Order: sequence, then structure tokens, then C-alpha cells
Amino acid sequence: MDPISYFQGAVLGALQGIAEPFPISSLGHGVMLPRLLGWDIHQNDDYFLAFLVATHVATAIVLLLLFLDDWKRIVRGLWRSLRDREIKPDDTDARLGWLLVVGTIPAGAVGLLLEHPLRSLFASPASAAAFLVVNGILLLTFERLRRRPPRPGDYLGDSDARIAKLSWRQAVGVGTAQAAALVPGISRSGITMGGGILFGLSNEDAARYAFLLATPIIGAAGVLKLPELLGSTGDGVRGPALVGALCAAFTTYLAVKFLLRFFETNRLTPFGVYCIAAGLICTVIFALD
Amino acid sequence: MAKNRRLIPWAIAAGAILIVIAIIYLAESAGSLPSFFPGHEAGSSHHHIKHGLLAFILGIGCFVFAWFQSGHSTARSG
Repeated sequence: MDPISYFQGAVLGALQGIAEPFPISSLGHGVMLPRLLGWDIHQNDDYFLAFLVATHVATAIVLLLLFLDDWKRIVRGLWRSLRDREIKPDDTDARLGWLLVVGTIPAGAVGLLLEHPLRSLFASPASAAAFLVVNGILLLTFERLRRRPPRPGDYLGDSDARIAKLSWRQAVGVGTAQAAALVPGISRSGITMGGGILFGLSNEDAARYAFLLATPIIGAAGVLKLPELLGSTGDGVRGPALVGALCAAFTTYLAVKFLLRFFETNRLTPFGVYCIAAGLICTVIFALD
Repeated sequence: MAKNRRLIPWAIAAGAILIVIAIIYLAESAGSLPSFFPGHEAGSSHHHIKHGLLAFILGIGCFVFAWFQSGHSTARSG
């Protein structure tokens, strides 16, 4: 019998695709849902890590394709700046590209070193539920401390030019804070969006920055672990993983499209309230279980 | 980005050291690493690929920093 059924693969893949761009922690939901449904699937099992590789790679590919034109401009900007050995003041693409590089390095570094110990330490559903509450409180705090409220017309004009006004220190700060998402229950996109909002970005610009920042880190994490999916650990999981990846790709597409429109006029507040409510309910369920 | 040419040799030196550290991590098992290296574990045959990858990326980062510092000076806030 396969460790993960095709149905479970589809459900977990769809969940990953929704929860990765939404600021509600895909890892936390991936830990809690199997427990809630009584599935014998555990976050630290080798086969489940192999399964996660497929869904993460699918999510990263969809994010890359959705912002492909932006990435082409960003890569050209990076190349221009390397050729000229300077980031010209009016070169938004180059500046944005290096802000993404500077934001990715600390998260990647911490992830490479601490991913395994943190995941082992906080892999229990009860811990994920508790940290989901923390994530909700963080989202509400970001909204409370934001520098400016959403305004009509925030989404008009050049979003990249506004994002590129972030300073290097702010980019490093947001990038480093992403590492908190290694703890199941804390959302990477939530932390990134919150950081952007604290530094004066609109919700939509912060969401766009979060999606751009997520692509290399999710993609690299997936590609680094591809051998686990293609090797013996992936035996018996590759079929469900493929189904899960397709479902994750589909729901990631829908989720990103939805969120970019949602944040034109809305805030992080509903997600904060959801995280606190879901975290508290799950904590009670797990305690009674 | 403010340019400071005095940082160039330091960035190159740090980059070179990090690349050497990366090669050691990738080539040697945990048991063969110098004892002051993080991840050293006597008798272990495990390779710390992630440590090596991290040192490599940071080394490249130092070289890129040095490359930009060696370019023309242009005033830019941030």
C-alpha cells in the first residue's frame, strides 16, 4: 500500500497551492490537516518530504510563469548592473533584482542550516496550531503598525518602482524574517507582506514583493531536494506526488490571481483573524484528542 | 550604493576564503573536517553539502560586492 493515496496527494497538493501564497502557513496546515483527518502522515517522514518537494517545485514554477515577464526584466536589469558595475539610479529592474538577491540570501542561509532542526523541533500538530495563533497575531500587528492605510488607486502606476524604493537594510530585514517560516505555523508570505507594509508599501505592492521573493527560495528548496523524490525515498510516492503537484499548480495560480486583486483594496486582517481562530480551534481539538 | 574602494581587497579575500571553505565542506566528510569547522563529527562519513553550498553562495556574494565597489561612483541613496 502506498504511504500516501492519490486522494490524499490531491488534497494535500491543493492545500499547499492555496496556503503557500496566502499568509496562513502552508507548512502549518500541512502538519495539522493530516492529524485532523486522522491520516497516518507525518511531516518528518522521508516519503512525505519527497512528496513536498514535488508540490513546492510546482508552486515555484507557477509563480515563475505568472511573473515571467517581470523576471525577464529583472534578470536583464541584474545583467546590466553587473556589466556596468553599478546600479544606475533610474534602473528600477536592476535595483529590484538586487533587493531580491539581498533578501533571499539570509533566508536561504538560515534555511540551509536550520531547516532540519527547526522542523524536527516544531513538527507536532499542537505546536503548529500554537504557532498559527502567533502568525495571526503577527498579521494583525503588522496591520496595526503599518505606515499608511490602503488608498484608492494604490495599485495604479509602476509597482516595481515603489518596491525598489526599499532600502538594502529593509530588504535584508524582510529576507531574514522569512526564515521564521521554517517553523510550521508561521507564514513566509505573511512575514514578507507584513515587512513590506511596515516599510511603507501598499498591500498589493507588498504581496507582489512577497511573491517575487518567494519564487527563488521555494524553487531552490525544491530543486535541492529533488534527489529525495527521484531516489529510493520517492518509491511509492511519485504517483501521488505528481497528482499533488498538478493540484498545487492549479490552486497556486488561482490563489495568486485572487490575492493580487484582493489586496488592491483589502488588508491582512481577515487572514490574521482566520489564523487565530483556526489555531485556537485546532489546539483545543488536539488537546482533547 | 556608496562606493568604498578600501573594501575591495577585504571582500576578495573573504570571498576566496569562503570558496575554499566550500570546497573543503564538499570534498571532505564530517569526520575529516578540521575540528574547528562547524559540523565536524569524529568518525562520521556524512558530507555537509548544505554548509558547502552556503559558504559557496556567500563567497560569490563577496566577489559580487567587490565587483560593484570597483565600478564608477554614482550617488544613490538607500
